[in-house]
Amino acid sequence: MSASRSANAVITNAFGNNAAFTCRTLNLDIPVIDIGTFPADPVAANSLQGIKRQQTNPKRWNEPVWGEFVLALRVSDVEIIEQKFVSGTFATDAGGTAYGMPHGVVIAKDAAQISTLLQAAQQYKVPVTVRGGGLTTEGESVAFGGVLLDMTGMSRVLKIDAENLSVRTQAGIFWHSLAEALRRQNLDYLSAPLNMTSSVGGTLGVGGIDVNSARLGCSADQAIALQVVTPTGEIVECSDSENSELFQRVILGYGQFGVITEATLKVRPYTPLAMHYFYYTSLSEAIADLQMLDANDVSDYSGILTMMDKVVNLLVAFDSDQRETAFKTDWLHRLRGHGEFGIALKMALYYAVHPWRWREALFLRERKNTLFPEFRRPEHMRNGKVVDRTVVFSRAVWKHWGSRQMVIPDLATSPEKFIDTVQKANLVCKKYFPHYTLYCVGIKLRADHAPHYEMSCIPPDAVTHAYGCEFEPMMGDLNADAMYSRDTLQSFKNEIYDIGVAVGASYYRFGGMMKGYIRRVFGDAVVDKHLAMKRKADPNMILNRDVIF
Amino acid sequence: MNAKRNYSACSGCSLCLLSCPVWRSTHDIRLTPHGRAKAMQHGASANDLRESVESCTLCGACEPACPENIDLLGMVSGLRASSPLFKRRVEVGMDGVLPAPTDEISTPTILLIDHALAENPALLESIIQHFGGSLAIGVARDSGFDISHDLCDGIAIDEERLANFLSPLKTTLRVIVADGHLQHALKTWLPGVTVVSLGEALSTLPQVRQQLRDSDFYVIESVAFHRDHARLISHYDNLRLTIGCTMNLDLQRMAIPTTASARHSGKVNVDDQVRWILEGRQPSRIVVEDVADIAAFGRVTDTPVVHLANLI
Ligand SMILES: Cc1cc2nc3c(=O)[nH]c(=O)nc-3n(C[C@H](O)[C@H](O)[C@H](O)COP(=O)(O)OP(=O)(O)OC[C@H]3O[C@@H](n4cnc5c(N)ncnc54)[C@H](O)[C@@H]3O)c2cc1C
Ligand code: SF4
Ligand code: SF4
Repeated sequence: MSASRSANAVITNAFGNNAAFTCRTLNLDIPVIDIGTFPADPVAANSLQGIKRQQTNPKRWNEPVWGEFVLALRVSDVEIIEQKFVSGTFATDAGGTAYGMPHGVVIAKDAAQISTLLQAAQQYKVPVTVRGGGLTTEGESVAFGGVLLDMTGMSRVLKIDAENLSVRTQAGIFWHSLAEALRRQNLDYLSAPLNMTSSVGGTLGVGGIDVNSARLGCSADQAIALQVVTPTGEIVECSDSENSELFQRVILGYGQFGVITEATLKVRPYTPLAMHYFYYTSLSEAIADLQMLDANDVSDYSGILTMMDKVVNLLVAFDSDQRETAFKTDWLHRLRGHGEFGIALKMALYYAVHPWRWREALFLRERKNTLFPEFRRPEHMRNGKVVDRTVVFSRAVWKHWGSRQMVIPDLATSPEKFIDTVQKANLVCKKYFPHYTLYCVGIKLRADHAPHYEMSCIPPDAVTHAYGCEFEPMMGDLNADAMYSRDTLQSFKNEIYDIGVAVGASYYRFGGMMKGYIRRVFGDAVVDKHLAMKRKADPNMILNRDVIF
Repeated sequence: MNAKRNYSACSGCSLCLLSCPVWRSTHDIRLTPHGRAKAMQHGASANDLRESVESCTLCGACEPACPENIDLLGMVSGLRASSPLFKRRVEVGMDGVLPAPTDEISTPTILLIDHALAENPALLESIIQHFGGSLAIGVARDSGFDISHDLCDGIAIDEERLANFLSPLKTTLRVIVADGHLQHALKTWLPGVTVVSLGEALSTLPQVRQQLRDSDFYVIESVAFHRDHARLISHYDNLRLTIGCTMNLDLQRMAIPTTASARHSGKVNVDDQVRWILEGRQPSRIVVEDVADIAAFGRVTDTPVVHLANLI
């Protein structure tokens, strides 16, 4: 449909309800699409097709054209797997609260196959959901009908250029598998999520924050070039200098503007790292110290991980002995945190005068006994240094925080707003859960990548650095008796995100179940601009529908 | 250790894929523990998963990686048990080929060999000498090849057959086992008897350790290693530190398997697997624990390949 819409147009959606879409500030040329398979304003607070904010799954696409579409794909030699138990493999994501069944699964082989798939999907108006590691938590990588494109089928490293410190890889590869290949040449990636099984493509589209991001930025900023299959099936190479507009949209673009099939990434010489832990009883002090270290470029790695808001762990680590020595001489004495012995003593005193809090004390002891050894497993240490930091952290993350249900709402702000925002959100966590973890890190920004950051997890007012904090309730074995309904979890996320709206923050996970926040956070002008671009690039809105738009 | 869990505990984290040779060669999630567990959560039958179950080499690298502590190998043998494809029994009595059978076992240590060792009498003799000669170690006439086969294919083991097999082993102090699957089962079947893998037993001997060099590339046999990963990781880490050699360990500290002695490895090309193991490495010598790996490495590299028992 080629009709276009101008400012102040109001469209009633397919359900005839109140999803009026008013473009207040801009005179944008937003192509209108077929209403009926898609709401008029896919980013309204009730944009999940007639579903209220508290609820989760969007309406499942289920059109009779599927059969014809499958035939067309088979004629073009694209294998589509329709067995229910294979679709079921992808029924949810790491969050385990959004459930959807694709009609069929395509395992990615190469860009040409994906191009054929997307062209057919446009022709038959069949939604295609792209999935890498599936480590989203808001259902962003869950297909509510249509095709699930499993990118992990494209997991080969294509070329390592040790001289120019870059690697070309297929984009479905897990960061850990990439690290395995790089380490054979004594190289390492720059930064990646601490979970080993997120994919390169899935990460470049959403961010990729590591404990070295305060120094090296997020993974998305480390991509040199990409091969992308656009929603209409063109195979395009893009970078800051070639097809830069597409590059800007695909990086941090939540899979809206194309499927990333290959990526050229910066890499670096591998180094083991010297780790230091400092323990605080005050969250704000710990964050202030973290920001002081980051602002002065003191360490190579830094971040905060809490056991409780009373025991806050500041992690500081170094790639080189020189920087570690400089830290010890110039900065160590300025940190207000304690060593392990110091915090144990402080906690012992605290619980001696607060004996009714014995459960808390037991929890802390249990946590210390199970968690600390994980971070020091001898097979991952050499001469006191950690040799496989991602393995060490990721295994601990999965073992101690992972379970079949996870919610990890987050907030990203400018450095100035961070302490206050985290403290407010900490109170919300406390209200909902007896045990939860906060994970805070800095993210260095690239001035030349400002266009990439628009409508992304990077807050609009952050200039040189942004700060992110994840809030993760413990729902696994540790808390087997603590089962939470999806409504409770959704209310928790909403309360955290409401703080973000109030302070002008952004979020890592603003898609999927949280997309009702998009207009509130980014404002109509920015959202309408992106919606117009999306509709132009993807006339039938087939690619990653319901993630953002 | 906590009790092992079943497929319903799978969270879909994919960590089991990272060291899996079948995943490495196919990048097809259906052929992985993740794919199998999730498919079973969605109602797949053993028949639905036939190809997946057949493709597994039982190298065991996935199981220690699973944060949910799922019995991933048990899952495969359980599925094989329900599939007619895996009902082929191996004849008992293949063991008559042994070079030095002990009619009446009276030695403190008994060695259970595997197929590859049965075909290499010189190496077997060398192993016997390492453990003090035939007065100290006896080679079992019945090596239980058929039992190992049944374990892998999920075939119920005949009680009488098992009792006959175990009877001479019960009276000994230590059993050294070349076959990782059998070694794992014997630990349960022979309480009170020390059951170790051939690799661990040899690599513990001072005279063997003395012969290892820092320029060696040491290839751990993966089945026994992964079956007792939590304990053996320290043993091999210590060996690595003491000698300074490199090993076929990946970043998760799983042993990258060649799969050369796997019964089912149709989806994995052993040569490609060996090439991956050696990528970026230039050892002066390759030292293997699994006899089948001698030929596997020999096909791909000119670097000398020796068995751990044949170091000079
Ligand atoms: C336990 C746990 C720990 C985590 N730790 C961190 C952390 O430390 N740092 C961090 O930054 N994040 C972290 N995350 C979040 C998660 O790592 C990111 O969401 C991740 O980068 C997603 O990668 P993925 O491959 O799993 O993508 P998916 O979840 O598969 O997809 C993410 C989005 O990108 C789209 N997509 C996927 N692949 C492609 C492609 N090739 N082309 C185009 N679009 C695509 C999907 O449709 C989806 O919308 C964590 C998550 C969990 C569950
Ligand atoms: S046993 Fe080996 S081949 Fe089988 S699934 Fe596990 S890692 Fe893969
Ligand atoms: S590692 Fe375990 S929990 Fe994770 S996907 Fe594999 S089987 Fe499932």
